[in-house]
Amino acid sequence: MDLGFYLLQLVTGLAYASTLFLLAVGLSLIFGAMGIVNFAHGSFYMLGAYLLYAFTRGQGEGFWWGLLLVAAAGMVIGAVVERLFIRPIYRRPEEYQILLTYALLLILEDLVRFAFGAAYRSFPLPPTFASPLFLLGTPFPSYYLFLVGLAATVALLLWLFLQRTRLGVWVRAATQDREMLEALGVNVPLLYTSVFAGGIALAALGGAALLPLQAATPGMAVDAVIQAFIVVVIGGLGSVWGALLGAVLMGLIQAFGILVLPEMTMVFPFALMAMVLLLRPWGLLGRPPAVRT
Amino acid sequence: MRLLLLFAFLAALGPALSEYGLKLLSEALILGLYAMAFNLQFHQAGLLSFGQAAFFGVGAYTMALLVSRAGWPFLPTLPVALLASGLAAAAIGFLSLRLTRIYFTMLTLAFAQLLYAVVHKWYAFTGGDNGITDLRPQGAFGESLPFYYLSLAAFALGVSFLALLQRSPFGYALRGLRDNRARAEAVGIGGFSHLLLAFVLSGLLSGLAGALQGALQRSVFPEYLFWTRSAEAILATILGGSGVFLGPAVGAAAFLFLRVWVQAQTEYWPFFLGVILLLTVLFFPSGLAGVGERVARRLWRVRRGAPQG
Repeated sequence: MDLGFYLLQLVTGLAYASTLFLLAVGLSLIFGAMGIVNFAHGSFYMLGAYLLYAFTRGQGEGFWWGLLLVAAAGMVIGAVVERLFIRPIYRRPEEYQILLTYALLLILEDLVRFAFGAAYRSFPLPPTFASPLFLLGTPFPSYYLFLVGLAATVALLLWLFLQRTRLGVWVRAATQDREMLEALGVNVPLLYTSVFAGGIALAALGGAALLPLQAATPGMAVDAVIQAFIVVVIGGLGSVWGALLGAVLMGLIQAFGILVLPEMTMVFPFALMAMVLLLRPWGLLGRPPAVRT
Repeated sequence: MRLLLLFAFLAALGPALSEYGLKLLSEALILGLYAMAFNLQFHQAGLLSFGQAAFFGVGAYTMALLVSRAGWPFLPTLPVALLASGLAAAAIGFLSLRLTRIYFTMLTLAFAQLLYAVVHKWYAFTGGDNGITDLRPQGAFGESLPFYYLSLAAFALGVSFLALLQRSPFGYALRGLRDNRARAEAVGIGGFSHLLLAFVLSGLLSGLAGALQGALQRSVFPEYLFWTRSAEAILATILGGSGVFLGPAVGAAAFLFLRVWVQAQTEYWPFFLGVILLLTVLFFPSGLAGVGERVARRLWRVRRGAPQG
């Protein structure tokens, strides 16, 4: 095992972390701003993968347009779902939100099975990334670098959006004090719809971006949502950088854990989450909950 | 009194049922016990655990390992299964209950998935994903009718225990903690210890349900500990109505019969389950039993000529 091999593992882990970040950051923002625990988040990730397949008819040439279409479709679907199903349950206890979104998960999984069948749907590497790159003599797909770049760009843009734009300030304010925001005349329902739509679009984009590496199946939604929850809980609910850190930790623990204890790969993420929760329940980069009076 | 009537009715029903009906009703009772156990935490203590399947699975595997590896007869494995799942619940509860709300939920999910992964991979001990099969209980309980009575007895004991618990000072303490933990602790109720005891009791009864389910199916698989099993308890509870005492059991029966019926028509059972759950959450948050209770109350009032409210 030479250095090139370890570098390859590192890049593989980071590429996986990138799609995980796209998935998890929306979940984190939706929880942070709206207080909604979206158990169906992974289903939109799955939907993104299938939509890319449908829009491009499985042809690598259509990749770029397909990606744009998936993001746009995610936006529309997210807005519709928020209006129809999420809005009536804002004031209900958390359990009912989890259950409603779990119902959406069940429905979407079967809808995809109905529309696309239960078989795997795979997608070739887009032509732009057809030739591999070399790291100390070890070849690896150049697509990995694209994924890392995509996630880094999204993280940076999101951060700029939250820090520098008025809408971003409102989103952050919504995580702290909704009533005050409403009193200031902000259209909070519209803000919620936008946050949800944006989060869903990112999840769909993440699922689509994963498709060239990993075939889509209806069952991937459940795995994805559990992974996303782990990432978000490790990083801290509502924190963009927390989602990034959580995703990178998860990517690395998967990539290197498999070398140390191959039969225990399923356990690592949960062990990591349990450890973080016990030591820092609010997550590595989250804020401790304020004492309510 | 009403409970006794219900148990007597179910007991009298036994001989009238077909082989298939007995199996189905046994499973409904087992699932009902499991959901009722879950609701002890959920409704009374206000804890949403997403790891209930861990205790269901520990119970099932304890029974299966004792029967298949140690050659025990079936019946004495039940108290051991109860004890093992209670111990597992004590350990997991001790760690999880330091957190609250969504963090508690995620931590219980994490521990259950950890156990699932271990059971799934430990081929030498648990048989891994091949599970443990050929668990036909020796003697009478291998037959459907005695097994039905065994399930009924477990259900009746569990439910009576929960009914007593609900009316005991312990039950009131739990509801006090659920509604306002700070205030309850201020009057001297130990929050952590009460919640832990509720968690253990709930886990222990879930383990009993798991052991019975394994015997009914004559096999156990890692899926017994998978998180969708935890979701089943939650689904049954919400479908039936968590606020009514027997709601979860009603929900479990409805859930099971619905599944059997829908699966006979179409392979898209999760879709229908999703739609039903969606409608329940949006329009009938008090569940089937809640709606039933409301209807009954209204009828009762109409009959007595009281004004409708």
